[in-house]
Amino acid sequence: MRPKPLEAGELYGRRADLKYSLHLLKLNPVVLVGFIISIAALLIALISPLLVNPSSWHLQNLDLRLCWNNPAFNWGIGNVFDCPGKIYPLGTDQYGRSLSEMMILAIPIDLQIALEVVLSAVVIGVFFGSIAAYVGGILDELILRITDVFLAVPGILLAIVMIVVMGRSLFVLTLAVLITWWPFYVRLVRSQVLGEKEKPYVERLRAMGAGGPRILFEHVVPNSIYPILIQATLDIGSVILTVSALTFIGLTPSPLLPELGNLANQGIQYFFTAPWLILFPGLTILVISLGFNLLGDGIRDIFDPRLRR
Amino acid sequence: MVFVLFTLSLLIFYLTRGLLPPSTALAPYISPRIGDAGKLSLARALGVATSTCPSFQDFASETNGCIVPLWGQYYGWLVNVLTGNWGFTLLPGIAGTANTWDVFFSRFAFTAELSICAAILTIIIGIPMGIVSATHNNKLPDHVSRLVSLGGYSVPQFWFGAMLQFLFVLYVRVNGAGLFDATGALSTTCGICFSNPGVISSYSGMPILDALLSFNFPYFWDSLVAVALPAITLAITSIGALTRIVRSSMMDVLRQDYILLARSKGLKDRVVIYRHALRNAILPAVTVSGLLVAYLLGGAVIVEIVFSWPGVGNASLAAANVLDINFLELYVLVTALIIVVTNLVVDVLYSIIDPRIRL
Amino acid sequence: MGKVATETVLDVNNLKVIFHTYAGDVKALDGVELSVRKGEVLGLVGESGCGKSVTALAVVGLLPPNAEIVSGEALLDGTNLLAMGKDELRLARLRDVAIVFQDPMTYLNPVLSVGLQITEIIASQPDLFIPEMIKNRLEEISAIEKSNGGLTRELQVEREKLQAASDTNRLGNDEQKRLTQLYAISILKSVRLPEPEKVFKMYPFELSGGMRQRAMIAMALVRRPKLLLADEITTALDVTVQAQALQLLQQLKEVIDTSVLLITHDLAVVAEVCDRVAVMYAGNVVEVADVTELYRNPLHPYTQGLLASVPRVDVVAEQKSIQGSVPDLMFPPSGCRFHPRCPKVFEKCPNAKPTLIEVSPGHLVSCFLFGG
Repeated sequence: MRPKPLEAGELYGRRADLKYSLHLLKLNPVVLVGFIISIAALLIALISPLLVNPSSWHLQNLDLRLCWNNPAFNWGIGNVFDCPGKIYPLGTDQYGRSLSEMMILAIPIDLQIALEVVLSAVVIGVFFGSIAAYVGGILDELILRITDVFLAVPGILLAIVMIVVMGRSLFVLTLAVLITWWPFYVRLVRSQVLGEKEKPYVERLRAMGAGGPRILFEHVVPNSIYPILIQATLDIGSVILTVSALTFIGLTPSPLLPELGNLANQGIQYFFTAPWLILFPGLTILVISLGFNLLGDGIRDIFDPRLRR
Repeated sequence: MVFVLFTLSLLIFYLTRGLLPPSTALAPYISPRIGDAGKLSLARALGVATSTCPSFQDFASETNGCIVPLWGQYYGWLVNVLTGNWGFTLLPGIAGTANTWDVFFSRFAFTAELSICAAILTIIIGIPMGIVSATHNNKLPDHVSRLVSLGGYSVPQFWFGAMLQFLFVLYVRVNGAGLFDATGALSTTCGICFSNPGVISSYSGMPILDALLSFNFPYFWDSLVAVALPAITLAITSIGALTRIVRSSMMDVLRQDYILLARSKGLKDRVVIYRHALRNAILPAVTVSGLLVAYLLGGAVIVEIVFSWPGVGNASLAAANVLDINFLELYVLVTALIIVVTNLVVDVLYSIIDPRIRL
Repeated sequence: MGKVATETVLDVNNLKVIFHTYAGDVKALDGVELSVRKGEVLGLVGESGCGKSVTALAVVGLLPPNAEIVSGEALLDGTNLLAMGKDELRLARLRDVAIVFQDPMTYLNPVLSVGLQITEIIASQPDLFIPEMIKNRLEEISAIEKSNGGLTRELQVEREKLQAASDTNRLGNDEQKRLTQLYAISILKSVRLPEPEKVFKMYPFELSGGMRQRAMIAMALVRRPKLLLADEITTALDVTVQAQALQLLQQLKEVIDTSVLLITHDLAVVAEVCDRVAVMYAGNVVEVADVTELYRNPLHPYTQGLLASVPRVDVVAEQKSIQGSVPDLMFPPSGCRFHPRCPKVFEKCPNAKPTLIEVSPGHLVSCFLFGG
């Protein structure tokens, strides 16, 4: 595996950096897989209204219950019966809806919640974490103590109680997961900023007369944002896992809701008669989560300054 | 620590009592046969209605002077709790009203058993896998281990648990019975179980431990088999996380100069890796252990539901659905205590391993 | 002045090492020829990046994974270190060749005590060390006897046990552990560390830079190697501490009868301590001679430039430096690697590679000016 040498004079600068990144990419080809999966998921989420009628999940068609007529695969189970009419690539569920269509509707819902949670957590984390680290003192103590409280609860339980109390809706679901997620980011940002603010350039900025908030938000935060973005990418996968777990145990607004965890929950009772109902939604969650995890991992492996030569 | 527990109890109290009308607090305890007078005295007993409230209708329509303000309710609850009275819980499925404390702790033993087994699995699989991955960087063992760890980290636990159950309980069969049995904490109908394991005396409430202490091997074996699938499901995510952390920190350490010197001294490879490298590399993993404990306790909720494990996580969903405040508070506070204590232990461990951080 | 023994401890022949990096191949060593005679201190000088450390690391087999030893051999008392299997090499590192590094802060394991980092060497192959440990302890006990005028009952018993053990060369486990610890402490004492019993239990971060360097020297000394490679050991130290370390090295060399390859870029250190000097440039040894001969009569243009650039206190002169800059070893110059900077370059230089030729007894040069 001898890489093609750079030309003389190409040793430094952007082109060299790019070549090095590509070299590292070659060592970690799996990152591309993650990248492709993530992009594919986002794409499906974006064009989903074009592929499937967004309100079709309300419609039940009992004639089409639990059938499978995809000729490519035969489950080998006794009472799988054939769907009349057009081909349903992933069969139908107990409400007579096409599973593939429901999953295409579910992906944007899950991704939207995940992105909302992660982005909000990052914003909240950056705001409170950086202030806590930069200002220090009582404010820091207070914020630390509050995060301590939230980190001492198993997040799932807090989310369950919140959803039960505040109602089963997607909004509450998002809020509940966010409430359990933000303390990590506050802590993470805080430790990053703590390290960053000791660096000499901060003192120089202060000597030049720059004000606190300006130094903080225009200089310190952008320099320390890096590991946080990597963590955010990784967390997209984890949030999807959490959300689908919550819907799986029944905390959905409606049993018909096309959401991956909910689809799995509805399908688990039919495992013997219609195994596709639990298999595919679960597999999709796995693949999407894997995609974002691979992507985040890969970005870290390639761009982490400590790992670069 | 006290601050954490106090604030936490406040938070849960506010969530359960503060956001919904006061009559919902009675929901878990009401049956159709209780008349209005009964309901009113129940409301008084729960600390929600004042003693001066004339009738249940007044209470239900929230007329002035009938509802104890939230602070008062909390104070009443706190006083009860500090004197050891955790009230009654009426979880669906539990016959009659039972003492919250007893119900909780009898179930807690099962959750503890599950979590401890999962923790053990995490450590004995995660750490070696991380070490192997780091020492064989970019070769086959590394790729396999990264795949497994990343897969474990990405798989939805409920789905994984369901798949395992279907595989081993319903498909892989021995003598017509599924290989494992995944319901309850003791099975007698699985393919590799003893059909008549006898009885054990209850010391801790944890089946495996009690069976050991009672010298009852069949029971011990059966309990082990019963906990196998749930423990694997619970552990899969933390195995993934731990492997990755150990791997990256070992790789960092193996690059250090002192490893070069250790090799140059003519020490065996094994000594270099386990004494010189691991000692330094384990520190980030120890730090993360505190988080892992929190994660295991949280994940137990889902896993217990999927496997119908008679633990406290399972019950907490039912408790949350009826807003059983006694159970919920006890659950949250016990878990928080465990997590806080774990973090303290982690701090102490840290200072033992790294002499530069002596307290 | 070094005694000239005809036996050599280390013979490096035609050593070529390439580093495979993302940007290309770095031809770090291009046929290094080196010999260390028994009992001498050979200095290896050259600028940063000329390959001195690479040579040392190659000899002990500790090059990074992306390095390839293309050709050459390193004969330690006749056996080729580069051809050894893993276990053989490990034993060689344990018994025969030790390397001491530059910056003791990063080379000592921060979470292990100094004592442990010494005793583990002994523990990894105890039978190699037991005879010396017994002998050392017996000497200690005799010294105590002399200074105190007698021995306590305990020490007498110990002496008898040890004398019995010295026939069989076997010790019980506890005995061995205790003796190992005492031996390590005595080694710490021999490197002039104050309160060696305390230092034994201390951690690297609790010691000063000079003390840490001594500890690292102790780790080399305990093995009584035939060859000691000292890689820039004084570079990270203050001048006064430097002097102490060098003095220590010299004293110890006498005590354990080892040969030293002293790698440095500091010409003053070389003049102070070495018997012979080898000068390296860009992956080749360009000149070898006795110390005084080299300083009096440098033959290779690079050596001349090197010596001329050292500022002198006695003569008022302009500071001279060698024109040009160190070559990029990914694209090294053709022929003689020094030719682009050489003031005496002529047509042959870019076209062929010079080899080391003995110009006068003990004085070798690699330059076409002197033949070849």
